[in-house]
Amino acid sequence: MAPYDGSGMDAALELTDVVKEFGGFKAVNGLSFSVRKGEIFGFLGPNGAGKTTTLRMILDIIGPTRGSISVLGAPSTRPQRARIGYLPEERGLYRKMRAAESIAYFARLRGAPAAEAKRRAHELLEEFGLGEFARARNEALSKGMAQKVQLLATIAHDPELLILDEPFSGLDPINQGTLEDLIRTLKASGKTIIFSTHVMEHAERLCDRFLIIAKGRKRFEGTLEEARAGLPRRIALRTPAAAADIAAIASVAGVEPVGGAPANAASPGHTPTDYQVDLKEDADPDAFLSACLAAGLAIRRFDASSESLHDIFVKLAGEEAA
Amino acid sequence: MGSTLLIAWREYKQYVFSRGFLLFLVMTPVLFLGAVLVMSVVDKARPQRTFVVVDQAGGYTELIDAGLAKQHLREALQAWNAYLEGVVDPAKAAIEDLPAPFGAGVITNERLEAVAANGGVAAAREAIGPFLKDGAPPFSAPRPRFRRLEAPAAALASADAEAAAAALEPYLLGETALPGAGEALFAAVIVPEGFGDEPATEDEAPRQAAFWSKNVTDPTLQIAVSRALRSALRRRAAAEMGLVGADLDRLSDIDAPLTAFTPGEADAEAAEIDDADRLEKVILPGVMTYVLLVVVFAVGNPLLTNTIEERSNKIVEVLLSSVTADQLMTGKLIGIAAVGLTMPAIFLVGGFLASAFGATESDALRETMAALVRSNLLFVYFFYFLAAYVMFAMIFLAIGALSNSLQDAQTFMGPLMMIVFAPMPFAVMVFQNPNGLAASILTWIPIYTPYAVMLRIASDPPIGEILGATALMLVFAALVARVMGRVFRNNILNNAPPKVTQIWRLTKQQS
Repeated sequence: MAPYDGSGMDAALELTDVVKEFGGFKAVNGLSFSVRKGEIFGFLGPNGAGKTTTLRMILDIIGPTRGSISVLGAPSTRPQRARIGYLPEERGLYRKMRAAESIAYFARLRGAPAAEAKRRAHELLEEFGLGEFARARNEALSKGMAQKVQLLATIAHDPELLILDEPFSGLDPINQGTLEDLIRTLKASGKTIIFSTHVMEHAERLCDRFLIIAKGRKRFEGTLEEARAGLPRRIALRTPAAAADIAAIASVAGVEPVGGAPANAASPGHTPTDYQVDLKEDADPDAFLSACLAAGLAIRRFDASSESLHDIFVKLAGEEAA
Repeated sequence: MGSTLLIAWREYKQYVFSRGFLLFLVMTPVLFLGAVLVMSVVDKARPQRTFVVVDQAGGYTELIDAGLAKQHLREALQAWNAYLEGVVDPAKAAIEDLPAPFGAGVITNERLEAVAANGGVAAAREAIGPFLKDGAPPFSAPRPRFRRLEAPAAALASADAEAAAAALEPYLLGETALPGAGEALFAAVIVPEGFGDEPATEDEAPRQAAFWSKNVTDPTLQIAVSRALRSALRRRAAAEMGLVGADLDRLSDIDAPLTAFTPGEADAEAAEIDDADRLEKVILPGVMTYVLLVVVFAVGNPLLTNTIEERSNKIVEVLLSSVTADQLMTGKLIGIAAVGLTMPAIFLVGGFLASAFGATESDALRETMAALVRSNLLFVYFFYFLAAYVMFAMIFLAIGALSNSLQDAQTFMGPLMMIVFAPMPFAVMVFQNPNGLAASILTWIPIYTPYAVMLRIASDPPIGEILGATALMLVFAALVARVMGRVFRNNILNNAPPKVTQIWRLTKQQS
């Protein structure tokens, strides 16, 4: 995928040097990123990183202290609200309202005509297996059902840009799968989706690009491949060889025994140890394997598969948090 | 429909179409009618009080009997007057043309004597029968409230009042049963020897009759006995002056006609203060002030609880992603104000319809509706309701935005309620003297202005004072709306309720 600079007409969202201060505390500090129209964009960060504050600024619920935010081509979110669907992390429904009524109400608040909102509410409930609960009061719904109703209320007005803050929380694995499918369907229909999550597997499966923030600052923006490319290549190695023997290979940047196990002091015949080997920039894993064999190291396991988003997240966000 | 009106409609619908509101609409007239019915039943089921008289002076037992019989006849004639109003067929006779002394009229001693002499209630029923509407219910006279029993022999044989009281004590305490007295004798009257006589010396106190009863809450028998004894003593004194009993009755029947007028009206008839004037100038403003107070706080409460629900259920963030805090606040204000106007409007419309289509024969309802139309009270109510509502509703909204639970809200509601109800003791002073100092002071305090003006408005208060105080109130209401609006906007998304010191900052902070 070609690098994306966010400029031009295909930016659904663009933040430029956005700062948000509460008193003397900078919750968001000089944040800039762009979201391309039609992509699924992962908005990742540890707790307290400034995700919710950023999302609130994007939605114009609170204003930035400095910087600019452009949404769907407009310099202000307010006139674009009808084109945006927002599912906050902490969400709820009016207890006494009925399920279909809730969906239609929020759709109407976001500009859908009354009849259309009502029709969509019933359609969506049917589509997501809640048709028989259309007239049930929200207080009578299970937590999972209520979550679905909240999500349906977010999309009922057919928004172009969807912002989902922790949409998977509270859903069982089956409903998480259903939600993943829905997000893919929405993307296929041309919607732009931004979602934040702590479950990296969801993000890895769904997102085209990511933003990782920590302590209000951007740590990374781009695709998973770009994230991987930006990090040293790591190899999982099991060998009875000593750490020093591995480190002696030219392409190795660093060697660490996994889980704090003691590094082997002696060579052949010793119990194999698991190592985490970081290669130097541009080093090729195949060449490293050949070098190991050439050096006479007995290899019991060699895993050069790519790092997961979880590892990338921990590395990038963890560095800032540390 | 704009977002603000959509929010208003949801708020309105939530309360007006709720079971609680419908129940309120049904229950209010039911409770009112129920209260009337219960009072009537309770009146009819009131126990007959039994008592004995130990008359050591002699002659007073019969006088007490006669006094109580006269009182009973007076009560019967009062009921008779009310009965005639509803049952006499005007095609057969006007009430004032009914055969004397049984027609409706003022109850004087002379009339009491005449009714008694002509056969009492039974004769009245028979005499009026031909003039009643077809199917009119029969008159049911109230039963006598008191019944005298013969005193126990031991008490009658007592040498003095103290001994008589001692002899009666077991009967009064229910330890000894007196035939016909039920569980316990209600009361005993002891008239000592020499009662009513002039003391022999100046130092000697006049002899006093004694009224003994275990019941200290129902004074009706004591009052009736006291009245009978007083009447007996007056008659005795009158006789010594050369008058007879009938002379005394005639004297007490003399009435001094006095008509109240109010200045500034076109003619004497218009200036005369009648029941309709009292209704318009006293009763309705009083009732409407009470309704204003109740309704403002009745509708403020859902505003508070609903805001707390939106905060605690985390609905507010979704709302604020769709509308601005100002739109949310305004929508809520409009919706709940409409609820507050719906309550009295339903009863008003019901009242107008009932009186217009003759669904009721109640003159009181017709006159009330006419007074409301004739006066400016409805307009005044509407205006000051909105003013009071804006002030208090904004405070409720801000409290809702500061609270995660009703318990949090109680911290603020307690002091607020104390301030709101602080002038209640002075309300009577304003009611009795609508243009007095207390009334003026309360009128100039903005949070009390709506109630004070509502209470005073029909009593021609100084127009300058009302306009000035109203202008001050409007400025204050705008200030409250501005400051409380800031609190609402600044804290509605904060999870934790702020500390007291932080609230001051919230009132100043621009969002």
